[in-house]
Amino acid sequence: MTIQVKKKGYRSFVKGGQVIGLASLLMCAATQNIYADEEVKAGTLYGNMNTVTQRMLDRAGSDANNFLHTNGNYDQTRFYPAEQINRETVDKLKRAWIFKMEITDSLETSPIIVDGTMYVTSSFNHVYALDAKTGKEKWHYKHKMGPITTYCCGPNNRGVFPYGGMLYMGTLDAKLVAIDAATGKKAWEKQIADPELGYSETMAPTVVDGKVLIGTNGGEYGIRGFVKAFDAASGKLLWTFHTIPENSVGVWATHDATGRDMLRDIEAEKAALKKHGDPYKTLGGGTWQNMAVDRESGRLYFMAGNPSPDLYGAIRPGDNLYTNSLISTDMDGKYVCHFQYIAHDVWDLDAVSPPILTKVKDKNGKMVKGVLHGGKTGHVYVHNAKDCSLIRHSEAMVPQENMWVLPTKKGKRMLPGANGGVEWSPMAIDPSQDLAYVMNIHQPMTYHVEATPYPGGKLWLGGAFKVIESEEQWGNVTAVNYNTGNIKWQVKTHQPMIGGVLATGGGLVFTGQGNGLFQAFNSSTGELMWQDQTNAGVNAPPSSYNVGGTQYIVVGSGGNAQMNFKRGNEIIAYKLGN
Amino acid sequence: MKTRKLKCLILLFASIYSGNVISEENRIAEDKFASVRDKLQTCFTCHGENGASTQPTYPILAGQEFYYLYVQLKDFKSGLRENAIMSPLVAIIEKQDLRLMAEYFGEQKWLGTDFTASPEQISAGKKVVDAGQCVACHLGAFNGNSRNPRLAGQHFEYLNKTMLDFKNKQRNNAQPMNALFGTFSDDEIKAVSKYLAGFKD
Repeated sequence: MTIQVKKKGYRSFVKGGQVIGLASLLMCAATQNIYADEEVKAGTLYGNMNTVTQRMLDRAGSDANNFLHTNGNYDQTRFYPAEQINRETVDKLKRAWIFKMEITDSLETSPIIVDGTMYVTSSFNHVYALDAKTGKEKWHYKHKMGPITTYCCGPNNRGVFPYGGMLYMGTLDAKLVAIDAATGKKAWEKQIADPELGYSETMAPTVVDGKVLIGTNGGEYGIRGFVKAFDAASGKLLWTFHTIPENSVGVWATHDATGRDMLRDIEAEKAALKKHGDPYKTLGGGTWQNMAVDRESGRLYFMAGNPSPDLYGAIRPGDNLYTNSLISTDMDGKYVCHFQYIAHDVWDLDAVSPPILTKVKDKNGKMVKGVLHGGKTGHVYVHNAKDCSLIRHSEAMVPQENMWVLPTKKGKRMLPGANGGVEWSPMAIDPSQDLAYVMNIHQPMTYHVEATPYPGGKLWLGGAFKVIESEEQWGNVTAVNYNTGNIKWQVKTHQPMIGGVLATGGGLVFTGQGNGLFQAFNSSTGELMWQDQTNAGVNAPPSSYNVGGTQYIVVGSGGNAQMNFKRGNEIIAYKLGN
Repeated sequence: MKTRKLKCLILLFASIYSGNVISEENRIAEDKFASVRDKLQTCFTCHGENGASTQPTYPILAGQEFYYLYVQLKDFKSGLRENAIMSPLVAIIEKQDLRLMAEYFGEQKWLGTDFTASPEQISAGKKVVDAGQCVACHLGAFNGNSRNPRLAGQHFEYLNKTMLDFKNKQRNNAQPMNALFGTFSDDEIKAVSKYLAGFKD
């Protein structure tokens, strides 16, 4: 059922967006003339796009036909420039088609669209190629799963990355697979790491200049986190950056990035370090989401997650570098800088949501290249891209209480709960408004600690997280001005929010809820402008694309294992109706 | 109960040492389980034909995933998991055979039980499941995976005892379960055991 909510003029909000607006309008007009027929085989504004070139990937941010990157472009802005679906027309947004996948389970895929073909994945590493205009299946690839898969939080997959004639995907049994985009046949696969030790893959890789970049899950199993680069043609390992250096001790930081005392017992930690040595080999620090790539400076930016074990810190003395950090390397995986939000974390309030590159105001009001990250703490952090330093953090987007009380055996209540704040969900930005759009979770928990030695690749939490079942849970969509740190608008949602956000040149923000609502908000005011009730939780990031002059919005409706939202198996595409 | 356990134990040792429960003629040449057929027969004594246990205190093995079962057998062997019956039995079997036995049970069909939970039990059990975030690892239909056991349709008595064993640190080979069940009352554990035993997808 599509519910018309309200429409409002959108032109007044555009500042820098007018040039893009005109370009995409011309583009729409041109494509409509050329592709009046049913089929779009090849040939768009950029010529034949069946093969994804480096140039196409580089200019994806201004490409209003395709959706080539997990998060829209190398800057990971999730800002889609097309304007056909806008504040004036969104009330006419209707379902164009629904595709039902074989697997009904947690669905986190970012649909990728290349020249009228859509690539989506489901839990357990199934991949589909669909006609993006009709939703008709072209091929279906099922990964032959090995006997050992080790994953926390559902058998998820967040999508493929297209490059050349290939699609690249990470698998639950910790492999990297290259699939022929035209046929759905596997070209090669490589073992990335040992699943018996807790490694697995749910993120989509990022490909740049012939290198396939991928991190790893496993922070709940005592892995040693990494980002690896593989040769896109052969699958050969090119380099490994360990997110945990051999000296993980750091500077014995006593306060978090926002200046709050983390109540560390530094003397006890120093004594433990003397006794046990550096814990780097099993210290966790997974990278769950794609890296931002600065093509200008040749730098990568990615996040490293929680230390292992999550709640029991006594066994892992020191700051536990570079867990809970923004990290930057060069294109060969050489360390450049990092910023740690929470040293020696014992709450799993880590850094997961993918970083975004954009121009920001520094402390003196000067525009500099910046990096944004939404933390499980409930803050958006704004960094200087040059040295990773923190410029500012936003006001809290969710209630924070009792931070940083130390976990106990009986459990201590602290807000946010361990799922955030901002979970893995990617944010979106609209640079013309200086706004970041962020989805948040409010899920009260108690934190319990229990001394536990390394269990050899088994789940290693060092205690337990317990949801306070009697307390209300909810979420919000928040627009944060990253140049001031202030919240511009905030919409409370029925469900804790997990999935992802898409902002568009039409002045809209698209996102979904666990109760199956897929919604569009006015990106300047937060006003709800459109919604559709789907059959399962909408907990996947939306994408947008254009076929034959028609703009589509697409999203997965399949629920979520981590938050136990109703499962489903649908990919739903929307376009304007009459 | 004690008599039944004793009987079971005697049968087990008798069959494992006699070693010739299945005659050579019945073995298929390419049978990858040939080397463990007689040992499997021992398992069936308590865990039922092909591991589809009908005795409420013995877990259903048929249809659990291979790697979960293999890890449990390894843990019995190393002493990480202790059980008066299983520990001495597994101690005399080589790891490669344990692996094969786990594979065998992994390939069988899950039959479950016909246990039905009352609406009150379902409601009370669901609260525990939500508080413990059980589905994050055991998955939405509680079918488990290679690391976590299937819970849906397992015997109530076995589930209840296992969770209490975790709580009381009688079972210690999955540490987060010790911490988690330490926070639940015996009544809550009973409720969630009934909810899971009767869970239908």
